[in-house]
Amino acid sequence: MGVTFVPLTRHYYREMQQISFRNDILPLKDKLFRLAFRITLDRAEAEDIVQETLIRIWNKKDEWMHLESIEAFSLTICRNLSIDRSEKKEAQNVEFNENLHDTADSSNTVGSMEHNEKMQIIRRLFNKLPEKQRSVMQLRDIEEKSYKEIAEILNITEEQVKINLFRARKNIRQQYIEIENYGL
Amino acid sequence: MDYKYIEQLIDRYWQCETSIEEEKMLHLFFQQKEIPSHLIRYKDLFCFEQEERCLKMSDDFDAKVLAKVEKPIVKAKRISLARQTMPFFKAAAVVAIILSLGNAMQKSPIGEDNDYNYDQYTDTYTDPQVAYDEISSALQDVSEGINKSKVLEDTDTLVSTTPATKELIKE
Repeated sequence: MGVTFVPLTRHYYREMQQISFRNDILPLKDKLFRLAFRITLDRAEAEDIVQETLIRIWNKKDEWMHLESIEAFSLTICRNLSIDRSEKKEAQNVEFNENLHDTADSSNTVGSMEHNEKMQIIRRLFNKLPEKQRSVMQLRDIEEKSYKEIAEILNITEEQVKINLFRARKNIRQQYIEIENYGL
Repeated sequence: MDYKYIEQLIDRYWQCETSIEEEKMLHLFFQQKEIPSHLIRYKDLFCFEQEERCLKMSDDFDAKVLAKVEKPIVKAKRISLARQTMPFFKAAAVVAIILSLGNAMQKSPIGEDNDYNYDQYTDTYTDPQVAYDEISSALQDVSEGINKSKVLEDTDTLVSTTPATKELIKE
C-alpha cells in the first residue's frame, strides 16, 4: 500500500502544482536530523544543519515543481552539508564527545541497564563505520528507503549502495557478535 | 511458529537481498518478547534500528525555522509588487515622452520655414497675358538651357568614346 501511495501523492502534487513548505517539507525534519546526526555525531550541529537545509530548500522554491522527489533532494543537501561540517571539524581537530546517552533513551520502554548498554555498543559500532556505509545503512535500515532512492540521494549507483550496505551490516554484525562472545 | 522462514530472511538480509517489506517483517519479529535462543543474538541489532527511528528533533524547531523562512516571504512580496507596478510606470513614461515631443514640434521654428500653405499664396500679375508671356519666356530659358547641356553632353560622349572621332573634331 505504501508503495502505491507515494507515487500517487507525488503525481497529485505535480498536477495541483502546489508543494507546501509547512505540510510537505517541514515534516521531513526528523529524517534529515537523523541523517545529519549520524554523520556529524553532534546533536546541536545536526539541528543547525537541518535548519540550513530547510532554508536552502525554501530559497529554491521555483525548482520544487521540477524535482523528481523533494525528499531525496532534501536528503542530498542535508548529507552534503553534514559532510562539509564534519570535515571542517576534523580539520580543527575537535574530538567528538560521544555523548549520545540522551538520544534514544526516552523512547526506550524495555528500560533495563543491560539493554541500554547493548544499544550503546551497537551505536558506537555503527558510528565508527565510514561515512558512506553509515549513510547508506541509516537510509536503508532506519529510514527504509529503496536502493534506487539511496543511490539518488548519495549520487552513486545502486550496485555501490548494495556493496556499502553489505559491508556495513557485516561489520556491525561481526564486531557485535565478537563483543558478545568475548567481551570488550 | 515457523522459524525457518525467519532464518532464511535473516540470511538474505545479510546478503542485502531482502525487500523493504521483508526487512519490516524482521523488525516486527524481533520486537516480540519470545524469540528462539539461536536467534536472540540478532535481537539487539534489529531493536537498535527500531529505536533509532524514534529519534526526533526538539519541539521548538518548527517555530524557529518558520520564523526564519517567513521573513523572506515579505521580501519576495515586495519585489513582486515593484514588478507588478513596473509596466504602469513604463506606460506613463512613454505617454510623457510623446506629449513633450508633440509640444516641442508645435513650437519649433523649423515647422514655420517648411510651411507650404497654398491658401496664403497671392497673385503677382493682374493681366493674364503678361503672366503667360512671363511664364513662356521663363520656360524658353529652361528649354534652351536643357538643349545646350544636351549638345555638350553629346560631344562629351563622342570625345570619350573613340580617339578617331576626337581627332576629327580637333581638325
